Amino acid sequence: MTDIFFVKWIIAFSPILTVLVLMIFKNWSGSRAGAAGWFVSLIAALFFFGAHPRLLAYSQMKGVLLSLNVLYIIWAALLLYHVVNETGAIKAIGIGIERFSGDKSIQILIFGWIFASFLQGVAGYGVPIAVVAPLLVGLGFTPVVAVAVPAIGHSWSVTFGSMGASFQALMAVSGLESAVLAPWSATLLGITTFLCGIFAVHVYGGWKMVRHSAPAILIIGVVMAGTQYILAVSGMWTLGGFGASLTGLCSGLAVAKLKIYNQTSHSETPSEMGLWWALSAYFILIVVVSSGVMIPFVKAFLGQVNLTLSFPEITSLKGWVVKAGRGKAINIFGHGGALLLYASFSGFLVYRSKGFYSPHALKTILEKTVKSGVPTSLGIVSMVCFAMIMDHCQMIYILAEGVSRVFGSLYPVVSPWIGLLGAFMTGSNTNSNVVFGVLQQETAQFAGLSAALILGAQTTGGALGSMIAPAKILVGCSTVGLAGKEGPVLKATLRYGLIITGIVGLITLFFSYIGGK
Amino acid sequence: MTLMEKFLEKHRTKLKIAALAAMLGIPFFLYSAALHGSNFQVKLFLALMAGNMFLVMKKG
Repeated sequence: MTDIFFVKWIIAFSPILTVLVLMIFKNWSGSRAGAAGWFVSLIAALFFFGAHPRLLAYSQMKGVLLSLNVLYIIWAALLLYHVVNETGAIKAIGIGIERFSGDKSIQILIFGWIFASFLQGVAGYGVPIAVVAPLLVGLGFTPVVAVAVPAIGHSWSVTFGSMGASFQALMAVSGLESAVLAPWSATLLGITTFLCGIFAVHVYGGWKMVRHSAPAILIIGVVMAGTQYILAVSGMWTLGGFGASLTGLCSGLAVAKLKIYNQTSHSETPSEMGLWWALSAYFILIVVVSSGVMIPFVKAFLGQVNLTLSFPEITSLKGWVVKAGRGKAINIFGHGGALLLYASFSGFLVYRSKGFYSPHALKTILEKTVKSGVPTSLGIVSMVCFAMIMDHCQMIYILAEGVSRVFGSLYPVVSPWIGLLGAFMTGSNTNSNVVFGVLQQETAQFAGLSAALILGAQTTGGALGSMIAPAKILVGCSTVGLAGKEGPVLKATLRYGLIITGIVGLITLFFSYIGGK
Repeated sequence: MTLMEKFLEKHRTKLKIAALAAMLGIPFFLYSAALHGSNFQVKLFLALMAGNMFLVMKKG
């Protein structure tokens, strides 16, 4: 690597470094750190990467379109949470599950690993963390653990979750068919299924609890990873995450009945609300989201109104070309956020009909939603906007190119890290695949490696990036009263994210060494 | 505490909502100005965006 390229790489990395340092070591909130990162990326783009006002203007608009897609989900998820919580249902669910299984490791696995993955399968975009974190707080876990557990636990299901949106993006940018890409992607993600389960437990109870829950992780992991692999390679990759977590839920409830997990005495705490009534909003959520995503007629009916903008081709002063195209479309009535809104309204009506609300509950719900949603939204918009500046000025490309140049023949070790970087920056596996998919494919072909294997590692890294992406951590923190205090959670998930990505890198190297095609 | 700081503290939530609205709204004006080739307007709205980000960074 030449000295000039190294300096450019360091400058390109500076916005990310700024956010990391400010959030982890200075305990800045996501919104403040994101704004600081925005300034650093703006200065770097203007002075070193040939940005000009028009380029910045288009990049910010694209950033807002991306942000609105995420914010739609977040605000709706917050509304659903406050609709449920205002009735005392979160506390009731905690008490109910404690009665079903008093074993903390089983509670973590069912909620933080399986249920969070199910929510990823049907919704995604931060919903698993936003929904599960408050449930775990209700079960008596600390807020930091409550956010970290689902963040780690659901990551394996991101690529084939959300009806396979991220995998679709990978196929689109690489031009390769699912039959080529699916086997390696499902294999690597299948291995991470176990790792996510292990570390979701470890974040709470250490290795002692991991040993205790090993049989459960093994049984449920085989079921989920196996189901995902079969669905993915048989062409039904849109149902990969959903189907895997659904079978995982069944096996999880069966495993909870094993003798070793029934030695802890169950809670006898009385609850004002029955478990099924408390869970009713989530049952409605499952029905609404499943219908909206999986029934073709409903999906087509809801998906008729899409808002987007067209962007012309734009070239930086350094010659980096961003092709013309449409920005991220917002499906007004069929978006995951819209489905969450329908579930929230329905849940509100059900709870109100049963008399679970106080007279001014609606006002309180709306006030709490706004109070928790605003700081989170500020952080997300500022971070996505600076990621878009970096993307439009070749900065993200230079970061990836530098890493691939340094590692050369050891590139398979690095490929998941590039996917992780993309997801960390944009908060999205899909965006990571879009940004880095072609680079990974070209590098693999240049080095004589299997493009399918390297792209599998790319999307696996992108999926794992979900557990450390500030945009998603912010969502979870906002639902458990940690808004503005995201640093400790990021510190916890970062450690596990880096370990799992490192392991995936070594496994990818092993597969490439034995001749993975 | 200066008068300005007192004001910012008192209206913290409202200011955050306003900052979010500006963060989401200004890029639409930026986009429109860039599409119509108005360099002055693009620079003006970029300055507004930077000012808004500065406010978020200081008081986020």
